[in-house]
Amino acid sequence: MSGARRSPITGVFTIAGLVFLWAPLLLVFLFSLHSTGSLTFPFEGFSTRWYDEVFSSEEIRTAARNSLTVAISTAIVTLILGTLAAYGLTRTSSRLRGPLSLLFFLPITLPGLFIGISLLVVFTRVEFSLSLLTVTIAHLVYVFPFFFLVARAALERLDPALEETATDLGASRWTVFRRVTLPQVWPVLVGAACLAFALSFDEFVITFFVIGPDSTLPMYIWSSLRRTIDPSINAISSLLLAFTILLFVVTFLLTVWSERRRRGRSLAEDPLVLTGPAEGAA
Amino acid sequence: MRVGPLALTAPAAVGLLLFFVAPLVAFGVYSFLTGGLYEVEAPLTLENYKEVAETDSNRTLARNSLVVGLLAATFSVLIALPMAYWLRYSAGRWRGLVLFLIVASFLASYLVRIYAWRSMLGRNGAINRGLESLGLIDEPLDFLLYNRFAVTVALVHIFLPYVVLVLYAGLAPLQPSYLETAQDLGAGRLQRWRRVVLPLVAAPAVSAFLFVFVLSAADYVTPQLLGGTSGVMLGVQIQVAFIGTGDFAYGAALAFAMLAGFLVCYALIALGLRLTKLDRVRFVS
Repeated sequence: MSGARRSPITGVFTIAGLVFLWAPLLLVFLFSLHSTGSLTFPFEGFSTRWYDEVFSSEEIRTAARNSLTVAISTAIVTLILGTLAAYGLTRTSSRLRGPLSLLFFLPITLPGLFIGISLLVVFTRVEFSLSLLTVTIAHLVYVFPFFFLVARAALERLDPALEETATDLGASRWTVFRRVTLPQVWPVLVGAACLAFALSFDEFVITFFVIGPDSTLPMYIWSSLRRTIDPSINAISSLLLAFTILLFVVTFLLTVWSERRRRGRSLAEDPLVLTGPAEGAA
Repeated sequence: MRVGPLALTAPAAVGLLLFFVAPLVAFGVYSFLTGGLYEVEAPLTLENYKEVAETDSNRTLARNSLVVGLLAATFSVLIALPMAYWLRYSAGRWRGLVLFLIVASFLASYLVRIYAWRSMLGRNGAINRGLESLGLIDEPLDFLLYNRFAVTVALVHIFLPYVVLVLYAGLAPLQPSYLETAQDLGAGRLQRWRRVVLPLVAAPAVSAFLFVFVLSAADYVTPQLLGGTSGVMLGVQIQVAFIGTGDFAYGAALAFAMLAGFLVCYALIALGLRLTKLDRVRFVS
């Protein structure tokens, strides 16, 4: 294969796009290390004082703890309900298949504003007091479609012959799921649960309506953006960015590893794959 | 007979019916009820929609939402298209790194990104200071922040990575050798774009466009932090109705009027795709 096509114009666009995406974020990171409280140039030297401030603030620690609680609960519940739903839907031939797929996809199509307000309306109506529990419920609705789409795609890719063989050999449905299905897809499912975690951890638009008196990190950032700007916002932002990138790298490695395992196996079983249309990826 | 696997979907289905569909229906019903302070009561009425239509300021808000939504969606797609093309056909060994940078920026916190643009565009922001130190301006530019422009820039920043990834996935089936074949058959650069690349990415590009348009037009956070007084949008007004003034019925009517607007846009675009037959372009290898 000849390798990459030359395309200088799109190359320039890409570089410009990357600068556009990263310049503001790098600016925030730079000023998180600023030695003075000034948020603008000229830059007067480095210090870690804003990080010290973040780590010693009780308010921020509480908010971070709340965010973690909500995001972990959301990820775990989504992992269980989403896996059940995706597995059930890919293995049924019921007429409810279509309507259910639509239902599981629907929350993604509406702006968060609608999810947040409609839950607020109902919670106030039935006098269910707003707390981290209502936030978690709202997040579950919001992240479910993302998890479901990934999980369903992974389950649909599986070779049905493996499950059929196990069933023919007398394995119960539960055993088939545990010993045949799950070992093939769990890295993808865990990756999707990480995505659910990340979405919930950063969620603000919906949270704002259903939170009540508690605070989460995005709520904390919001309220300090509304007040006079506190320079430690830069430090919190940089920490958040580092944390989500770390989470992404872990998820990415999991996916690559599982894909390799899967491909490795099918290559061993079916050498014909090697002669299929190979693409000149670098 | 095969009740088994279907039953597994029940917990999620019940959960979504209870906490998504039912609340949404209740929200819709609110828009037809008579409003009180932080509450609604019978009888059913169309009064709220009438009030929404007759309030002059709503027209300005709707126009702002429409303009910002269209601009954000258009620029996201226009910038993402060459980026996706480059990633697919020219990236070579840079592909992994560039994809990583795009996804990583996508994961940066929503509020942080809005805040970052405040530091970029402000009176003493990076852009003004940069232009000053280059000697291009004497006075800081004031038109960068607290208007629709600033809101649009931040929204493009928020959605661009998503659009790049969608278009990149859309180009996946079109192998480089096909472009070479088109070239060998005498198709110039423009013709290759027009006849090969664009029809293939039309469907994903339109769905990404709609996604960005709807989420941008309904946004209530970015306009509040970057929009100033001239950049207020519908979402802000809806938020105020529920959190500030407590006029639930009016807020609900405003929200569903906006949703109706989205549906009209959606129908128009779907019709456009159908008429140009672009919805039927499929890649058969």
